[in-house]
Amino acid sequence: MSTDNSVATPKRESLFSKKNRKLLKDPLSDSNPITIQVLGICSALAITVQLQQAVIMSLSVLFVMISGNVIVSLLRNLIPDRIRIIVQLVIVASLVIIVDEVLKAYQPDISEKLSVFVGLIITNCIIMGRLEAFALANKPGPSVFDAIGNGMGYAWVLLVVSIVREIFGSGAISLPGMGQVKFLPQDWFVSSGGFYENNNLMILPPMALVVVGIIIWIQRSRNEALIED
Amino acid sequence: MAINKNNTGYTFLFSIIMVLIVGTALAYTSLSLKPLQKKNAADKKMVDILGAIGVTTSRENAKTDFPIYVKERLSINSEGNVLNSSSGNVDPADSADPFNLDVKKDYRSKKPASELSFPLYVCESDPGETVYVIPVVGSGLWGPIWGFVALESDMNTIYGAKFDHKTETPGLGAEIKDNEFSDKFKGQKLREASPYFTIIKGGRKIEDLHSVDGITGGTITSVGVGEMIDRTISIYQHYFESETNSSEQ
Amino acid sequence: MEYFSIFVKGIFVENMIFAYFLGMCSYLAVSKTVKTANGLGLAVIFVLGITVPINYLLENYVLKEGALSWLSPDFATVDLSFLSFIMFIAVIASMVQLVEMIVEKFAPALYGALGIFLPLIAVNCSILGGALFMQERQYPSIGEATTFGLGSGVGWWLAIVAIAAIREKIRYSNVPAPLQGLGITYIITGLMGIAFMSFMGIEI
Repeated sequence: MSTDNSVATPKRESLFSKKNRKLLKDPLSDSNPITIQVLGICSALAITVQLQQAVIMSLSVLFVMISGNVIVSLLRNLIPDRIRIIVQLVIVASLVIIVDEVLKAYQPDISEKLSVFVGLIITNCIIMGRLEAFALANKPGPSVFDAIGNGMGYAWVLLVVSIVREIFGSGAISLPGMGQVKFLPQDWFVSSGGFYENNNLMILPPMALVVVGIIIWIQRSRNEALIED
Repeated sequence: MAINKNNTGYTFLFSIIMVLIVGTALAYTSLSLKPLQKKNAADKKMVDILGAIGVTTSRENAKTDFPIYVKERLSINSEGNVLNSSSGNVDPADSADPFNLDVKKDYRSKKPASELSFPLYVCESDPGETVYVIPVVGSGLWGPIWGFVALESDMNTIYGAKFDHKTETPGLGAEIKDNEFSDKFKGQKLREASPYFTIIKGGRKIEDLHSVDGITGGTITSVGVGEMIDRTISIYQHYFESETNSSEQ
Repeated sequence: MEYFSIFVKGIFVENMIFAYFLGMCSYLAVSKTVKTANGLGLAVIFVLGITVPINYLLENYVLKEGALSWLSPDFATVDLSFLSFIMFIAVIASMVQLVEMIVEKFAPALYGALGIFLPLIAVNCSILGGALFMQERQYPSIGEATTFGLGSGVGWWLAIVAIAAIREKIRYSNVPAPLQGLGITYIITGLMGIAFMSFMGIEI
């Protein structure tokens, strides 16, 4: 994978052009994968219960997106049209499986946490969506920017949703390596004679949808151009 | 390029080459990494078994700590007869070592208990205090759940337990992994007959020694824990009975 | 009775959208009108109904440990399950390609309306999810596996047609402008998800 990046790096340095900056900036707001393009929803629901899971997932998706975009972009003139979906899927699936196998051998603790997500990463519509919409028709350099932009756009929504859900749902916050840290004093809780109850609804997937809905609300109030008819 | 990438012949060629490259890459990765992965899995298993008897260790130290606390490993059949026994260091390649019995795989194979053999770990948490550890496997809400239950030398009082899962809901079913849940099992007792132990949701009496409270919102996972303990104890019961009978004689 | 139970569970208790939240992307994006929702839903039923049994055969005769023993007893220890993801996806992608060709030929208007979301069925997490659940639960027969596939498909179809019907109706309601369309759909789906939780744990 590092060889791929070194192919892209020389181009990247000379191309901090307006076009590339736009590729990085747009997915953060105006063409955000989750709130505008409607891609990558399934994972946003399933792994935003804890911040640490969201962080791991975001990093993994970012990595797979960048590698996938570069590989497909490099092969874009060779892939036959009729089987292009299958080819894209196979490339993404192989990448994810190889990463999973390597982690299982060299970083078993991280792999344990990630194994659940492996299936979710492979079918993450963002990865496929960007391969179809961008990497197939563009050079590797811009494809890397597109991947980073969309990856970050996906990541910030995931992080916000998981922070909200974890704080209100568990009264805690968690980070990879740190585990879950409960920051509310134990005697506030009803079980210890206090007044506070965690909002258990927040731990359930439907609430992730509601939180994203509210993010959309805020996003579109600030930018009227995004409002639908 | 002059090649027409959409012509049928080229499409076939591309597919074949892709399949070959991908197949080789995956097979190579999987095969070359397998020994390391197996070792990691074995280390984790040792950490969990020691965890069930209250010994905290790490993956790195598991291999050396294991033989210190686990005096003997037996494999028994559903009638309660001892088939095999090992002790000392664990060799992952030794298929006769009861440690290497894959209970999860056996559970998934749905073979009847009469066709399988089951591991039993004879441990010493403190010198002179014998503790028996048995592996349990079952199904939660979204996927498999498993763990280890440790019994005191009377083969009736629960010394401790450690549970794990693959894909249960975080904050709900996934809590079976937390010490808060497994600590509830300490000191509880098994019943004389099935159901040997129950996980009760709501309305459990504090004095009830044969149960623990389930996880709020994690009903199906909790029920799964109860079911797997009950089913597993039924299998080991023959061995326990013959052991307590022979020690009473 | 077993078949009935699996089928009904797939529609309500284990609904792909509301219980497992799989397949959300196309569900949210293609539910603006009942007509297109219906078309996509039927396509998903078809794809699930065909790919789950095919993947079942793959799983049991090629992939899992000992599966290849029908070729020769020497292969009894071969475990190809690391290839599961790729093979399932290849089957699904090929099926979707087939569906795409059929729809283009026989229902061109629908083909135009579905746009990119028809080929995106291939990445629809509910289809791969169906294959993986089948693998995890190890249904004893291909009949049960197929019933599971069809039941899940019908559940998905039900979910998308329901939300499309609701979306058509609320176009005439006073939804705040920034929430119109996608935003309110997210929230309504969340509410429907909570409602469907009442089915959880029901034994049929």
